[in-house]
Amino acid sequence: MTSWLYLGIAVLFEIAVAFSAGNAQGFTRLWWTIATLVSGAIATFFLSLALLEFDVGVGYSIWTSVAGVGIVMLGAVFFKERLNAKKLSGIALVIGGVIGLRLSGAA
Amino acid sequence: MTTISNNQASTGRAWIMLLLAGTFEIAYALSVAGSQAFTVLNWSVSAVVFFLLTLYALSVALKTIDVGIGYAVWAGIGAVGSAVFGSMFLDQSLTLAQAFWLAVIIAGVIWLKLASSDKLQADETGLVAP
Repeated sequence: MTSWLYLGIAVLFEIAVAFSAGNAQGFTRLWWTIATLVSGAIATFFLSLALLEFDVGVGYSIWTSVAGVGIVMLGAVFFKERLNAKKLSGIALVIGGVIGLRLSGAA
Repeated sequence: MTTISNNQASTGRAWIMLLLAGTFEIAYALSVAGSQAFTVLNWSVSAVVFFLLTLYALSVALKTIDVGIGYAVWAGIGAVGSAVFGSMFLDQSLTLAQAFWLAVIIAGVIWLKLASSDKLQADETGLVAP
């Protein structure tokens, strides 16, 4: 169960990576670039802890996909980006897949 | 005419960068796994190098390619690749049920990224993105 916690922390920092990289404008803005690298380092470290338990294909895919869901949710809540049916179905597929993997004993 | 062929050439280069970014991402994922929580030096160095390479290649590619489409392709390559090569090189074979649910997740994230594409949404409404 600890490996899921590590993966969750890695997801939060991966969302921070996407957010900072988006604001770094091709890495021309110093502080956003530093924020991207620092959150990337933290995300990678927690991913590596999770991958001690998870198979790489499973852990990596859950990490990147749940972060993707988080980015869309963040956009909807804070930046008023519309959550249309397509986005919601993508989110449902990711969450369904994660639950399926959990139940099939992936970790 | 020159403008058109220049555009095509730069689009081609951008797609090559995107495929490279996807390949670097697979190498990054495998290195992070191989580093055993950054206790194995070679794999740890390799993880850091590929992290920087993938970030650079992706940022170059996304200057030309639509962000939603670019991320969908990149995430798809990284996820499928790390599962396939992880089972080949790190002896982490998946059960049939796990492979199925993994495919569901990957389909979900690709679909989600495509749904976030400004270009595709604009095409649907008949509006042309500037």
